[in-house]
Amino acid sequence: MNWIKQLLSRRQLDRDLREEIQEHLDESIEELVAGGMSRDDATRAARRAFGNITRTRDRSRDVWRWRAVEDFFVDVHFALRQLRKSPTFALASVLTLALGIGANTAIFSVVNAVILRPLPYPDPDRLVSVQSRDTRGTPHPAALSYPTFFDFRRDNDVFEHIASFRDTQLSLTGSGRPVRLRGAIVSWDLFAVLKTAPALGRGFLPHEEEAGARVVVLSHGLWSTRYGGDPDIVGRAITLNREAYTVVGVAPAGFNFPALSDTVDLWTTLALDATSATQRGSRMLNAIARLRPGVTVEQAQTHMDAVAAALVERYPDQNKSIASTYVRPMLDRLVGDTREPFLVLLGAVGLILLIACANIASLLLARMTERAREFALRAAIGAGQGRLVRQLVTESLTLSLIACTAGVLTAIGLLRWALPLAGDSVPRILQSNVDGRVLIFSIALAVLTGILVSVAPALRLARVDVVDPLKAGARTSTDTSGGLRSTLVVAQIALCLVLLCGATLLVASFLNLVGRDLGFQPERLLTFSLNLPGAEYPAARQHDFYDRLLERLQSLPDVTAAAVARPLPLTGSQMTISFNIEQRPTPPWERPSSNMAIVSPGYFKAIGTPLLEGRALTEQDDAARPPVLVVNRAFADKFFPGDEIVGKRIEPGASLNEGGTTMREIVGIVDSVRQSPLSSEEEPIYYFAYRQLPWCCPSVVVRTSASPLAIESSLRAVVESMDAQLPIYDVRTAEDLLSTGIAGPRFLTTLFASFAALALLLTAVGLYGVIAYSVARRTREMGVRIALGASRATVLAMVLKKAMFLVVMGIGVGLVGTLAGAQLVAKMLYGVAPHEPRLLVLACSVVTITAAVAAYLPARRAATIDPMQALRSE
Amino acid sequence: MTAHKQKDLFPGALEMMILQSLKQQRLHGYALVQHIKRTSNDLLRVEEGSLYPALQRMLKAGWVKAQWSVSASGRRVRLYELTAAGARHLDREVSSFERMLEGIRLVLSPVKS
Repeated sequence: MNWIKQLLSRRQLDRDLREEIQEHLDESIEELVAGGMSRDDATRAARRAFGNITRTRDRSRDVWRWRAVEDFFVDVHFALRQLRKSPTFALASVLTLALGIGANTAIFSVVNAVILRPLPYPDPDRLVSVQSRDTRGTPHPAALSYPTFFDFRRDNDVFEHIASFRDTQLSLTGSGRPVRLRGAIVSWDLFAVLKTAPALGRGFLPHEEEAGARVVVLSHGLWSTRYGGDPDIVGRAITLNREAYTVVGVAPAGFNFPALSDTVDLWTTLALDATSATQRGSRMLNAIARLRPGVTVEQAQTHMDAVAAALVERYPDQNKSIASTYVRPMLDRLVGDTREPFLVLLGAVGLILLIACANIASLLLARMTERAREFALRAAIGAGQGRLVRQLVTESLTLSLIACTAGVLTAIGLLRWALPLAGDSVPRILQSNVDGRVLIFSIALAVLTGILVSVAPALRLARVDVVDPLKAGARTSTDTSGGLRSTLVVAQIALCLVLLCGATLLVASFLNLVGRDLGFQPERLLTFSLNLPGAEYPAARQHDFYDRLLERLQSLPDVTAAAVARPLPLTGSQMTISFNIEQRPTPPWERPSSNMAIVSPGYFKAIGTPLLEGRALTEQDDAARPPVLVVNRAFADKFFPGDEIVGKRIEPGASLNEGGTTMREIVGIVDSVRQSPLSSEEEPIYYFAYRQLPWCCPSVVVRTSASPLAIESSLRAVVESMDAQLPIYDVRTAEDLLSTGIAGPRFLTTLFASFAALALLLTAVGLYGVIAYSVARRTREMGVRIALGASRATVLAMVLKKAMFLVVMGIGVGLVGTLAGAQLVAKMLYGVAPHEPRLLVLACSVVTITAAVAAYLPARRAATIDPMQALRSE
Repeated sequence: MTAHKQKDLFPGALEMMILQSLKQQRLHGYALVQHIKRTSNDLLRVEEGSLYPALQRMLKAGWVKAQWSVSASGRRVRLYELTAAGARHLDREVSSFERMLEGIRLVLSPVKS
């Protein structure tokens, strides 16, 4: 850092130089005096001989100067003075750019947090996700079954480790109130895959996967809140789901897996899944693997495809439809879906910044005209064109860097407002903040902006003779910037239209999404979940428990109906099981599959779904009676198109009873209930009667006559009176479920619409500016026209015509851009075509009307010009 | 030699002469002017306007170092001293200068003969 030292010692250097030169002069004078000259003459002669002292000193000093930088600071100083002189201009442009840079910074910080940040484990880029490729229907990624996972683990030689994981809920009892914890069931080497050592104790051992083993690793958070950070926790037993688990370790602080946002409280081994560990058809596992050194993702993919294909030979029935795999970086798997919407948002804010830049460039052009004399003067005293351009760029940079500071603050505010809209619909989004990378982005953007807005003024500087304005009496209105400014406005209108069309499409799509028929009545419907531990509640006791629970809930004063179900509507949670149709039997790998649900008889009445055909499930549909099913309309339409479906029989694939699979009769059709709030089509689903299956439903729906949340405490009391150790969780209204479910599109739509509004505002300001400026410049001309008899309406029309010409040009260009760009948002639309003409017309109308208003104001001023005053004005 | 003539001289000539002068002894600015004037038999006269910037350049490059001292005549002077880097630079410059001179001489000699 030599230059810092130089800067610091500059003063000393200067003193030395000054003294040295003085001594030099003195010595020459002494010599001349010694030679017989008078002191005065000697002084004069010495000075003459020395030459220009100041210049010599300056040139000597120059050696030490960091010239470009110091000139820059001089320019910045000058720029700041200029800005202070015109505070309105300064404020307007800083505000405009701050909004542009702020929006970009905010969105980039979200992109940074969600997409760019690596996973929080060592060597994160070596972590891959392994899934089956299910070729039934459109090939899609599918979960693994335990047997397949074990085969993958044994047969591969591309992974250091591969670990399975799936979510689970566990109730912790023992001390104090029972709590429900979020857990993950993992294979023994999860911590090895993640290269993460527990902070306390150890990870799991291979033999802890064996049936009956009950071991757990606690999260750091759970350990410190629930166990007070007890260092002796390892080796102790805790009670989960009424069973004793030995704590073998505590994860390090900040460690989280597999969730990226929500906290996982504990991890246990797949010993808990011993019953499903042999079922090749029960696919519910995710897998994460660490690539061996030197192995690429592609190589791993090829290898795993071979492994999967080899399994088909051995298990054709279960594995024929999953003869290949998806191996991809884990980060892609987790955040891949969010990439597209965020890049679109980033594009949108980029357009806003361009619009803002056009405004600033336009303002700068106008100022150039006002400052023509200043530039001419500087050119006259020796500033080259390069130096003038540098001054221009420095001024813009000063402006954009001030705006950058304001923009970062704006971004922080924007994040604070917008992030809650997204909730946890996007992984990691709540971790968005302004970090180093975001700051660098923001500053780079500001620098780019500063340069971008100087292009037009610099072009103009190059085009005109800067010395001209100095000539006495020269009129300052020799302005050739009109063309450039008009071009900028056309570009603005075009960009604005693109954004507005995007916003219109998204808003229309969102309204569609919100207005869709849910297939049930969400008002005054409360849902909650509980988890009956299998150890204490074998199948028969579970049914008994639910019967008694429903009975007691229905006897509560404000409750009109209650039912149990799994999964709940609108949660997006799915259970999929393939089935064989009695009339059209197929081999196992070609069987259709559909979502399924398990419900109690009162479910359809409780949620308000109408029965369309046949009968609903009844209390009599129990294990003793022939097994039945109710299907939804989408199921009937998809699998039995145009056919009578009631009375048909199908055989669901998974062995749901001890005695293997059973033919079940379809007895009724109900309306299609929306299970996933965002799916674009109605999803087929078939409902089992809960008494006809060996396992059931951890969720309850309650229809109330008053506000649903008001009964929360009484239903907690009911459950507690039945089993004090049973925590209930996820107490939410159906409306709340819906609102959570559509948080993603709502976030996207709100942001996009706000950005479009901002773009519209900036464009209106830009157009207003150009028209107002041209009117101001043509005051005299207008005055003459009016004096010569032009009617005010003619003048008004003349100004508006110019404005509308720009608008029409802009809309033309913008429409081309929109048609080209619409495909980008197509995937995010629900029930709206990306080229929907009515919406495009709407967007064009909004732009035109806004532009008309923006142009009308200055046009009216032009029309009301007093000719006498206008003619005297110069 | 006057200022404009000096400009005609190849770049680095002034530095070379200063370094060469400092090779024999430590000198201050005024003495340097005198020294060069004297040793060149009054053929060369260093302009102060060029001398001081050149000295600053050489200080910055690390070819010379400066120290305040008191001269024999009791005057406060800033003495310049050749550094090892300066000596190396001087050697390089002198040898390249000599090569150049040799080249020029060769080009000019046929005309002379």
